[in-house]
Amino acid sequence: MSGLSGEPPDMTGQTPEVSEPTPESKVPSVAARLALWQRSGGVITPILTALIAFLIGGLVVFATTGKNPLNTYKAIFKGTGLSWLSPVSIHWHLFYPAGIHWTGWDTTSPTALNLQQTLIVVTPLILTGLAVAFAFRCGLFNIGGNGQYTVGALVAVQFGVWFAGLPGPLHVIVAMVAATLAGAVWGGIAGFLKAATGAHEVITTIMLNWIALWVGSYLVGFNGPLQDPRAISAPVTRPIADSAHLHVFWGNPLLQGLHVGFFIAIAMLFVYWILLNRTTLGYEVRAVGFNAEAARYGGISVGRNFFLAMAISGAFAGLAGSIDILGWEFNLDLTVVQTVQVGFIGIAVALLGRNSAIGIFFSALLFGALLTGTSTRNLDPSVFQPELAGNLTRIIQGLVVLFVGADLLIIYLWQARKKLRLQQRKAAEQP
Amino acid sequence: MADERPVLELRGITKQFPGVLANDHVDFDLRRGEVHALLGENGAGKSTLMNILYGLYQPDEGQILVKGEPVRFHSPKDAINRGIGMVHQHFMLIPVMTVAENIVLANEPTRAGLLLDTNAADRRVRELSRSFNFAIDPEARVEEITVGQQQRVEILKALYRHADILILDEPTAVLTPQESNELFEILRTLTREGMSVIFITHKLNEVLEIADRITVVRRGKRIDTVDRQGATEEGLARMMVGREVLLRVEKPVSDPGDPVLTVDDLHVFDDRGLEAVRGVSIEVRGGEIVGIAGVDGNGQTELIDAITGLRKAASGRVAIGGRNVTGATPSRILDSGLGHIPEDRQRRGLVLEFSLAENVALHDYDKAPGSRWGWLFPRQLIRRARELLTQFDVRGGGPQTRASALSGGNQQKVVLAREIGREPSVLIAAQPTRGLDVGAIEFVHRRLVEARANGKGVLLVSLELDEIISLSDRTLVLYEGEIVAQHGPDVTEDQLGIEMTGAGSKEAAA
Amino acid sequence: MSVRVQPLQRGAWTRASAPSTIGMIGIGLGLVTLFLALPPVKVRTAPLPVAIGILAVAAGIWAFTRGEHRLGGGAVVSGVAGIGIALIVLQANAARLEGVFVWSALIAATLRYATPLTFAAIGGMFSERSGVVNIGLEGMMLMGAYFGAYGADVTGSWVGGLFIGLISGALLALVHAIFTITLRADQIVTGTAINFLALGVTGYLYNQHYGNNGTPENLPAVPDVNLKFLSHIPPQGLGNFLYNSIGQLNLMVWLSLLLLPVSYVALFKTPIGLRIRSVGEHPKAADTVGIPVYRTRYAAVTLSGALAALGGVFLSIGFVNSFTENMTAGRGFIALAALIFGGWRPFGAFAAALLFGFSSALAARLPDLSASDTAAWPLLFQTLPYVLTLIAVAGVIGRSIPPAAIGRPYVKQ
Repeated sequence: MSGLSGEPPDMTGQTPEVSEPTPESKVPSVAARLALWQRSGGVITPILTALIAFLIGGLVVFATTGKNPLNTYKAIFKGTGLSWLSPVSIHWHLFYPAGIHWTGWDTTSPTALNLQQTLIVVTPLILTGLAVAFAFRCGLFNIGGNGQYTVGALVAVQFGVWFAGLPGPLHVIVAMVAATLAGAVWGGIAGFLKAATGAHEVITTIMLNWIALWVGSYLVGFNGPLQDPRAISAPVTRPIADSAHLHVFWGNPLLQGLHVGFFIAIAMLFVYWILLNRTTLGYEVRAVGFNAEAARYGGISVGRNFFLAMAISGAFAGLAGSIDILGWEFNLDLTVVQTVQVGFIGIAVALLGRNSAIGIFFSALLFGALLTGTSTRNLDPSVFQPELAGNLTRIIQGLVVLFVGADLLIIYLWQARKKLRLQQRKAAEQP
Repeated sequence: MADERPVLELRGITKQFPGVLANDHVDFDLRRGEVHALLGENGAGKSTLMNILYGLYQPDEGQILVKGEPVRFHSPKDAINRGIGMVHQHFMLIPVMTVAENIVLANEPTRAGLLLDTNAADRRVRELSRSFNFAIDPEARVEEITVGQQQRVEILKALYRHADILILDEPTAVLTPQESNELFEILRTLTREGMSVIFITHKLNEVLEIADRITVVRRGKRIDTVDRQGATEEGLARMMVGREVLLRVEKPVSDPGDPVLTVDDLHVFDDRGLEAVRGVSIEVRGGEIVGIAGVDGNGQTELIDAITGLRKAASGRVAIGGRNVTGATPSRILDSGLGHIPEDRQRRGLVLEFSLAENVALHDYDKAPGSRWGWLFPRQLIRRARELLTQFDVRGGGPQTRASALSGGNQQKVVLAREIGREPSVLIAAQPTRGLDVGAIEFVHRRLVEARANGKGVLLVSLELDEIISLSDRTLVLYEGEIVAQHGPDVTEDQLGIEMTGAGSKEAAA
Repeated sequence: MSVRVQPLQRGAWTRASAPSTIGMIGIGLGLVTLFLALPPVKVRTAPLPVAIGILAVAAGIWAFTRGEHRLGGGAVVSGVAGIGIALIVLQANAARLEGVFVWSALIAATLRYATPLTFAAIGGMFSERSGVVNIGLEGMMLMGAYFGAYGADVTGSWVGGLFIGLISGALLALVHAIFTITLRADQIVTGTAINFLALGVTGYLYNQHYGNNGTPENLPAVPDVNLKFLSHIPPQGLGNFLYNSIGQLNLMVWLSLLLLPVSYVALFKTPIGLRIRSVGEHPKAADTVGIPVYRTRYAAVTLSGALAALGGVFLSIGFVNSFTENMTAGRGFIALAALIFGGWRPFGAFAAALLFGFSSALAARLPDLSASDTAAWPLLFQTLPYVLTLIAVAGVIGRSIPPAAIGRPYVKQ
């Protein structure tokens, strides 16, 4: 099966026809032309992709409930707390602002609380986005973020329960490192299988997700080894020790304020960029991702990079699991194990962010906001049912992936066009 | 001999691709019973013209007339219905299916209107094959028969569809000289029966042997149409290239030094577990070019892969500069003084999405000054690339240009810059000029000769016999995984051709 | 395409045969280990199965070190798994063991669990044989499951459910086709998007229509086929065995079995099948003889969605008689693995589906081995089908050769 990164072999393969380009008149449809135009705008493409997805999502809302999608989206947006970032609120009257109110940055307002919620959700999404993106750069499609996250969370919770005597920062680090390694192992299995036997990572990572789900259910479920013996009626682990809690730097720790894990995720964006662009490992990973065959001819071990890329991807996801546990969940619940979806959303985050660090940040923000805005807690049920909204998020996520997937073609076409222009120039140079 | 009434006429065919005028008002006509050669360099527009004729492309301007009647082809099906058949350079055959299945595809005989009638298909193919003396087994799988036979299957495909106009696109590219002669014999039979043949090629000698008339195209334009009588190789070459062509590479007499590459009794299995290289021994010394001639698929790929560490040898020994590297990793072998210009620059030689600087670093990214302790220093990569790109005259971009933006010739120069720039003691060049135009071919040849002058050993693997003959100091012939002959610099194409089919005398190579 | 001169050397088989034979024997020994511990043999002591299991592992290691990585690895895995399961089984008391390993019931359950996999795998076969990877089988199945239930509810008849489910899967597959064939998007990314979409759409509609109450209890179900006459086949034991294993299967189980020869003939014995395969092997070759590549792929992909959806329909209104969110639980991917495992052939895929189905049937029944009702460990058996799939994919994938043009969009000139 084809990897993501490779261009269609029909087009670049060494055939004599290569010098005679594909006629562009055959390039299909309005969609392609629109997309070509999008591509010229760089950042515009992902924004348009997201807009189209929201538009279709809005149509779904309208078609099924007859409600005004704009109101629904407005309610969702209200729940995200993003409006807190602007110190003024503006009431528009037709085309001119009718009134501007200074709201300031009240850190105790409900909006502030919502924003804290949003950023708490954004944190793991950045990391699972990186987990998908890093593998992508090696030409692998990691849809095992869920499993890697779950394994990380399981290990983090157990390490948080153990070592209760350790000093705070050390305890946090121990738990995080252990969870990261666990995620790396879980991802590494798929990488190893790919390298050793050629087993396709899409199937193996999905299977590993389900295995993690059931092993996790066994561990934290009723009578499981990790279940809290004091809470015999609830399938949940013991709470982690206080020393393993992440520091809350904004908001009330009792009301799930924003913890420092957010900065760890931001730091990982830099780590991701440096790893890829400033290390020989990243060079190898990119070479393998772009053209495994050429990398092999250049003396790079393709299998080793498959393994490492998946392990590093898994590490990001495992870290995400630990940050959620140490930052705000503090214990692990059976329903969390069985309904976790941050790994899947990571796919949309990475694709929409075009696998770039900055892009991943913004698309994580988008999906984090969407998740918070549609949560039972933040969405006004009289405007829109949260259960429906949650699934609306999935639909939008699916649409984003669908359109971004097609967008890869657009990028390719754009390159092909540039290539042709170059040939033209060359043809003109040589009389 | 042909009669004068054209069965096919192309008038003023023009085809514009974004950036390239592939065909510029090309006229062409084909008479009944003739072989009409379409001669031109790679990229001259021959294939585009034929793809238009076969309904794969639509012309922007111009007219196609079949038997005097104007036609428009929207798909190959239209062309087939008008009696046009095409044998593509890369065969349009499905390897895992049988000969009969390939031939009847899309025109299958059926039983009860629904089921495939395999027996009827086999029978018809057998009859057809017998009537043209082809000796093809309809039940054999295409992947199991020889390339020459596959080509005949392609011809049968056209005949099965009642074609009377046959287009052959570079049909001899994959054949030995002997197989080519057999093909010419077949073509003569076909034209005697009233078929008309368009023969696309860039090989001058073939044109003079088989064609009745010759049309030369260059840069999308028809230059001239001439009769075979009176045409000369030099004259055609001038028309084709637009200037005088250096048909021979000038090089001083070789002065071989110490052995730089020693291959000893190497046995290698291919992907399917068959023994592809059977006891090959080669010695390449510094300052000489050793050519390996052979028909594609006789173990060349596996031999190179085993030498470069990309494939494990079953037994035998490889040494570079006297150091045993058998079974070492590719990167260690490259480090021990081997340069490798791979067969297919776009698939294996370059990472097209990488910048030129990154491509130039493809072996040495993990060594100082490009990197230290796993940290990469992009500026150092760029500095190194800038030097080499100037040295090797790469045009069309700087160190930060993406490789995909360069033309084929310049891409190959980047590969040469990387491989020769590392100053290896031995250089393996696999089909280094495939798909390049004459100017780029000359450049590559000059650089290989230069490397030889600098005391490097060069192992040249090529399917082009004239390339082998003009560059090599010694030539080895590889047939079914064995070296079956060895020659000095003055071997003839005919001699090699005979040996490449395994018909020559078997002698062990030194 | 590179067609190369290939000397015919069938004799080479013998060279590779020794380690591969040992590897296969190892796998067989692993299965024997398992078999010995189970009814009706029921060896109740550890040493014998353990010894045979160790033999299997040893054979595996021997083969592995001699280059037979896959079979050798398979033998090691089967040996270890055999010992493991044998030891677990030994813990259970004999009566419970009898209760779990009622072979006729296991066969019936295996067929039931294999049915959705078979439908989806055969569907996937058409798509992939035409050159389009279908990771979206899971989503198409899920659509079938929801719309099967919804359709049955709305029309009041299982036939209506079946058709509405089938159409919903075909429509989703059509989306896959548009994006992968016409827009030439990456087939795997698009397939993933299809899965998300299906999850979202079915979850959304399910919540909107049924909310917390779930699908109605009196959902019209696809009927079972009662073959009472089987129980009269003498001798009595055999008759009962036959009746209990295949005498009360759902109509759709039989439909899936019927699908096997039909799809085999369609793909390998008709001109249409030849054309589908030619498009998947070498689309340009097909194009040059006038086969419409895009149209053929569209048809194959859409058909794959319809068939996968039938698997989903069976799940919801043939098997458990309700719909729950994400109820396909990775079955689409297991079906994909079965397809690959079976070498993109109907009966091969069915054999693999049976294997996975058997593991699911076991997973459902093995918890009964536990003496206590509250023990948590039986939950681990739920991983069985997934672990098995993982092993199968790792062990066999490289050996079966996929259609040559799979995963590559075709660019028509």
